[in-house]
Amino acid sequence: MEKDHKPSSTEKPVLQKVAKLFLYTFLIVIAVVQVLPLVWLFLFSLKNNQEVFNLPPLALPQDPQWGNYARVWTEGNIGQYFFNSVYITASAVILTVIFASFVTFAITRMKWKLSSLVLGMFMVGLMIPVHSTLIPLFNFFLNVNLMDHPLAIILTYTAFNMPITIMILLGFYYTLPRDIEEAAIMDGCSVHRLFFQITLPMTAPVVATTAIINMIYNWNEYVFVNTFISSDKFKTLTVGIQNFIGQYQTDWGAIGATLMISILPILIAFFILSNRIVEGITAGSIKG
Amino acid sequence: MFKKAFTLLAVLLLMTVFVLAACGDDEADSDSEPDDTGTVDEGTDDVEEDDGDSGEDATEQEDVVINFMHLWPQGSSPDHKRIVDEIIAEFEDMHSHVTVELEILENEQYKDQLQIVSSANQLPDVGMTWAAGFMEPYVRGERFASLEDILDDEFRSSFVGGVREAYEVDGVTYALPLELNIAPVFYNTAIFDEYGLGAPETYDDFLNVVDTLVENGVTPIALGNRERWTGSLWYMYLADRIGGDSALNNAIDRSGSFENAALIEAAEEIQNLVDRDAFIRGFNGLTDQEAKSEFMNENAAMYLIGSWDLPNYTTNEEVDQEFRDSVNFFKFPEVDGGEGNINSWVGGPGVGLFVAEDSDVKEEAKQFVKYFVERWGEQAVVDAGVIPGTQVDTDAVDLPDLFIQVLDELNNANNLTLFADVQMSASVAEVHLDLIQALFGNEVTPEDYAKQHEEALAAEE
Amino acid sequence: MNKVMSDKKVIALYVLPAFLLLMLLVYIPIVLTGYYGLMKWDGIGSMEFIGLENYRNLIVDSAFWRSARHSLLLAIFSVISLIGYLLVSLVLSGRIKGADLFRKVYLIPMLLSSVAIAQLWMRIYHPTNGVMNRLLTSIGIEQPPLWLADTNIVLYSIFIPIIWQYAGFYILIYYAALRNVPNELVESARIDGASPWQIGYKIKLPLIAGVIKVTIVLAVVGSLKYFDLIWVMTQGGPNGASEVIASYMYKQAFTTYNFGYGSAVGFFLLILCLIITYIIRKLTATKEEVQY
Repeated sequence: MEKDHKPSSTEKPVLQKVAKLFLYTFLIVIAVVQVLPLVWLFLFSLKNNQEVFNLPPLALPQDPQWGNYARVWTEGNIGQYFFNSVYITASAVILTVIFASFVTFAITRMKWKLSSLVLGMFMVGLMIPVHSTLIPLFNFFLNVNLMDHPLAIILTYTAFNMPITIMILLGFYYTLPRDIEEAAIMDGCSVHRLFFQITLPMTAPVVATTAIINMIYNWNEYVFVNTFISSDKFKTLTVGIQNFIGQYQTDWGAIGATLMISILPILIAFFILSNRIVEGITAGSIKG
Repeated sequence: MFKKAFTLLAVLLLMTVFVLAACGDDEADSDSEPDDTGTVDEGTDDVEEDDGDSGEDATEQEDVVINFMHLWPQGSSPDHKRIVDEIIAEFEDMHSHVTVELEILENEQYKDQLQIVSSANQLPDVGMTWAAGFMEPYVRGERFASLEDILDDEFRSSFVGGVREAYEVDGVTYALPLELNIAPVFYNTAIFDEYGLGAPETYDDFLNVVDTLVENGVTPIALGNRERWTGSLWYMYLADRIGGDSALNNAIDRSGSFENAALIEAAEEIQNLVDRDAFIRGFNGLTDQEAKSEFMNENAAMYLIGSWDLPNYTTNEEVDQEFRDSVNFFKFPEVDGGEGNINSWVGGPGVGLFVAEDSDVKEEAKQFVKYFVERWGEQAVVDAGVIPGTQVDTDAVDLPDLFIQVLDELNNANNLTLFADVQMSASVAEVHLDLIQALFGNEVTPEDYAKQHEEALAAEE
Repeated sequence: MNKVMSDKKVIALYVLPAFLLLMLLVYIPIVLTGYYGLMKWDGIGSMEFIGLENYRNLIVDSAFWRSARHSLLLAIFSVISLIGYLLVSLVLSGRIKGADLFRKVYLIPMLLSSVAIAQLWMRIYHPTNGVMNRLLTSIGIEQPPLWLADTNIVLYSIFIPIIWQYAGFYILIYYAALRNVPNELVESARIDGASPWQIGYKIKLPLIAGVIKVTIVLAVVGSLKYFDLIWVMTQGGPNGASEVIASYMYKQAFTTYNFGYGSAVGFFLLILCLIITYIIRKLTATKEEVQY
């Protein structure tokens, strides 16, 4: 290892160079390992049911089943599901992040007696197991006539992601310096203005973080969709996977293709949002 | 300007919240109108759905919608789905005022959803259920309607003996079978030939087959025991062959005890097979599909499974022709000195159709079920490879040999023991299935295995 | 200042929408779960009030306590693995060329749904064809472990994919927190001759202590009610060896029609989470006071 490194302009000690080499080797190895699942999924989607189980995970299928993709596209309503997934996920993410930012701001920045009680109540929302909520929520949506309506799903996602989003935001709000805000108030800035023009931009990295987390959760969720949505026209992409699960036998290749198709948009959204984590802080410090 | 933007946002947010309380954005409003005037008051959501699709209000007054929930999605079960759609279209043609609305869910989600909608008394008008232990709570909770009134003599006699009875509770029929399966031992003749083996006729022959294969480094039996009912099949056959068809049945229906010598001996025999390495390595952690693929990739010589798997060995074009030709089946052999008969099978009906007790269209729904079961019986085996609960005339249908042989066996069967986990109530079934895994994993002695069954069964008496 | 920041109307405006939603969609189920827990109910037909009988049964239900032990074990492992996530995040947040790309790539598995992750790990753990056992046999181990079938190790076999699955989640949070640490502080420490290790340990970590505390709570609560991968990969088996509270609850409520009892388990889980969260907050509270 040590002898491998190139004799370049050595201003730093050799030891440090070696350490760096080690670090990079380590980082690259992990990176490769983390990309493999995506490669695996792609190969998986090109296999037939026999090969899925028999071939090693990263082996090439003998005769790539591009037909899996064709089947996924033509059978069932995947275009519609896709559209539903996008707008349901997007609406729920936006609602959750905005609501949660409001609440966190009020709890950490404003002074009121019940703030810690309210925070505690939000935290309790983390603790209920999903399967306990299905029958009560089914009855609730039935009574308010929201059964089989996309709003039922959007509101459920928003409510159930709220606690975790608030908690993540909370950790950041605590570390945020208060002097900027105090100065702003001294200058006669209103609370709303403070929140929208100073606090929100400063928290952009964590807002992006929570948006990513919310997005992934909503995108892959299927229990609520199955329970509250019965018409095909409102169902989401995760339902497309179920289309290939049979009573006694499952079509794994087609499921792989569906998973592959459904991961692409979220991958793109992830890369875009992910950049905000870095940009946010610079924008915030300029404002400050 | 900033204030404005904020006000707008605040109003927007508040609106979203109040939408919930007032229950209706634009879409919901326009949807909820028809159900104010509609004749149907239960299951209004589903009516709305229909309106949304057709957009016609004129004929609505007379229209009747039957909601039908099933578990055969297009993607995994295209043949099933096609037949279902055809039958529905025929029925709608015959009854012009009827529309059938479908909801399709995958097996596991289907079971959960059935319970959830039932808890709110919102069952679909027609749906699928499993026999005995699965459906009993629905019947006790008065969720399923009696189907006795559509069972005229002719229709009643069209079912294979004993199959409809699996859907009876206290002598009343609450669902009608669509599927019937028996469990043969499928085997790979190519592997058997290679080692000079033939289909075993006695249990000793069978042990010899196992030993020969093990000596030659071939996995004798593919078993995916993560599902547990797969291992239960093996236990049930041994119990039947050793103790006769009444031993296990009596223990379950409480006219006998589970701590019966034959039932304990069957458990010992399972562990004997495990010790001989009869089953594939790691079977307790394998799914049935993983195990099946070992059989289909010719890594294992035998595979005990329901006859629903027949298409894989006959008509499924995705499976290599040479492999399909090499698959045959044998009946679970008789045990020397045992009381069982080789023509006694483990099996039973799979899904059947029920009508919801609180359906507003009960009459139409019952007619639909009757029509469906009849038409399904005519088409299922030929077009989808599903053996229906109604009798099939093997002379009249054109089927692969293996299918014909299984159908003939079904006709010659002198007993059909319903899958143990279906016979039992759901909570005893869970105990049974866990004990099966423990037994196969050598974590429980045969005596304890029997004792714990007995305790669970006795607790429910 | 105080007056502006304690304006009741503003507080109500900011908190109420979310709070109402929480009350309706989260608290109704919580209250009803507690209520169903007092019932003998199959979750299908009518119910019968039986008082605390379900809870009394729960106390003596050894299968439940076994699943609770497994859930707690998962919680402990999850918290320990936070250290690893934190280290990776520290490295990534340092001045490393390509850190941005590394970070993105590292988080890719997080996008996969549980269905895909379960399928992947079932291929890895397969007793004969699996990646793991092929590797082990190729280095001469003749009887490699049965990862998902051996009751002694199945629980740990399943922890690994769970911990791997959540790595992205926590790394993302830690990374964002570390990016929030003001650059001036890091720079001045560097000028004072602090090593990267010291900068991380002495400056960055204390500054994100609030975030770390939050992640501990999230990891514990998330583990206690964890369900997904366990259900897909083993369904709690073999013979309950990988059963956790949530899978046990699900089986009771939906598979064996003891919905009342299942609800009692669900409610008990909630109480357990509450108690443990309270303890964690108490244990970490002193730090917070020092910090702020």
